[in-house]
Amino acid sequence: MVILHGVSKHYPQRRRPALDDVSLHVPPGQFLFLTGPSGAGKTTFLRLLFGAALPSAGTIRVGGADLGRLSPRQIPRLRRKLGVIFQDFKLMPRLSVFENVALALRVAGVKSRDLVERVERALRQVGLDHLAEAQADSLSGGEQQRAAIARALAHQPALILADEPSGNLDPRNALEVMKLLVAAHARGATVILATHDPALLDMVHGARVAKLEAGRLEES
Amino acid sequence: MAGQQPAVRRGPLARALGQMRQNLWLQGVAVSSLAVTLAIMFAYVNLGLNVYAALERLSTGASVMVVLEEDAAPERGAELARLAAAWPEVLSARFVPKDEALERFRQQLGSRSGLLEGLARNPLPDAVEVRLKPGAAPLMVLGNQLKGLAGVAEVVTSRPWLHQLERAADTALEVGAVLGALLFIGVVLVVANTVRLAVYVRRDDLEIMALVGASLGYMRRPFLWETSLQCLAAAMLAMLLVWGLLAYFSAPLTLPLGLETSRILAFNPVIIPPFILAALAAGLVGSWLGVGRALRMKVW
Repeated sequence: MVILHGVSKHYPQRRRPALDDVSLHVPPGQFLFLTGPSGAGKTTFLRLLFGAALPSAGTIRVGGADLGRLSPRQIPRLRRKLGVIFQDFKLMPRLSVFENVALALRVAGVKSRDLVERVERALRQVGLDHLAEAQADSLSGGEQQRAAIARALAHQPALILADEPSGNLDPRNALEVMKLLVAAHARGATVILATHDPALLDMVHGARVAKLEAGRLEES
Repeated sequence: MAGQQPAVRRGPLARALGQMRQNLWLQGVAVSSLAVTLAIMFAYVNLGLNVYAALERLSTGASVMVVLEEDAAPERGAELARLAAAWPEVLSARFVPKDEALERFRQQLGSRSGLLEGLARNPLPDAVEVRLKPGAAPLMVLGNQLKGLAGVAEVVTSRPWLHQLERAADTALEVGAVLGALLFIGVVLVVANTVRLAVYVRRDDLEIMALVGASLGYMRRPFLWETSLQCLAAAMLAMLLVWGLLAYFSAPLTLPLGLETSRILAFNPVIIPPFILAALAAGLVGSWLGVGRALRMKVW
């Protein structure tokens, strides 16, 4: 599903590389925790996987596509196949929950009837069907993250990337979010979850753990 | 839940209207700045066309007197008139015998016609009066053609400055077209910058769209609609503004050469449809360039 080979990432304003010669193979159906302290390169790692940044060296393959060879036009197509979850939710605050979830399907060209069914199903999965009409910025943090997860799950992606999905949540909501991701994994999705919280690792049995330290992958 | 289905933002027009409603202040700024720019363009085109039409009116009825040789028979004069009348650039041609010419002159002198009483003989020659169609051909070319005909002693244009006027009008038209194109480019640049401001205001929403896989086209289309609607509104405002200003300034005043301010400063409704189309075209081009540039500069 995901293959990195000798990947490095340098930012012009930083002396040390954000990622340094990282190689990793994530087979389909795996649940991978990407751990490490803040600034270790976890977010950079995920940004490379959904095409928000290009590697300075090395190759990255996601779902068979070589990201270094993708044109700018092909990046959106790649992203439509992924489900990406962010620590700060990245919801459109003035749109309803329904519209936020529908956005991921609409950009993929899903038409009205199918779209409505899939949004409803995604909202039921995260337990937000009763808040479909609520404006996104009126929700609590936990509800907003569940809405963001519904958006990521709506098009049933084969790969889910989650960047500190519980970082802004209390323990009860963090547990809820983890349950949703485990459920998505149980339905067959590959999940790569970046976190600095070791407590999350025990919530998923059989998950693989990779640790980033100063841009280097120390264990896998 | 299906019964309580929330309204879904569907096409790009609906999305454009949605994002326009979210920031009415931005709409006001965009439409105002566009309206001022378009008003300058509209006023320029309107005045340019009115001046050109005035010059054309001056040329209308321009006449050439073909003076016959002294020994030419009146039949030759009538024949020359028939010949000239058949030319495409000629509106009418008529043989004017010397007696009729004298009588016309007498009438023109009016109360001073007594001046002619002392003449021993009619000093005026037989002539053919040729009236030209406006702008059909340069006056000098036609004059030379007439001069080459048998029995013609001289060709006199009643308004010799018309030749210069024709050249001046042609030059003015060329300069006007260049300036018009520059104004159009100016409108495109104003639109492009306005759109970049709109992109900046909505950068968070656009970032989210890009992250979930929206293509450049998907993000661009609402801006194209938005700009088109803004240009339409701005064009209406611009025309209203120009109409008001022209009405205010067009006090009746006769200028040299019989030109009238009321006609030069008249609001010309003929240019409304092409002006609206030009405004929309400028809006679409500016929006296309502005959004593309603004979105490409950003790495989501």
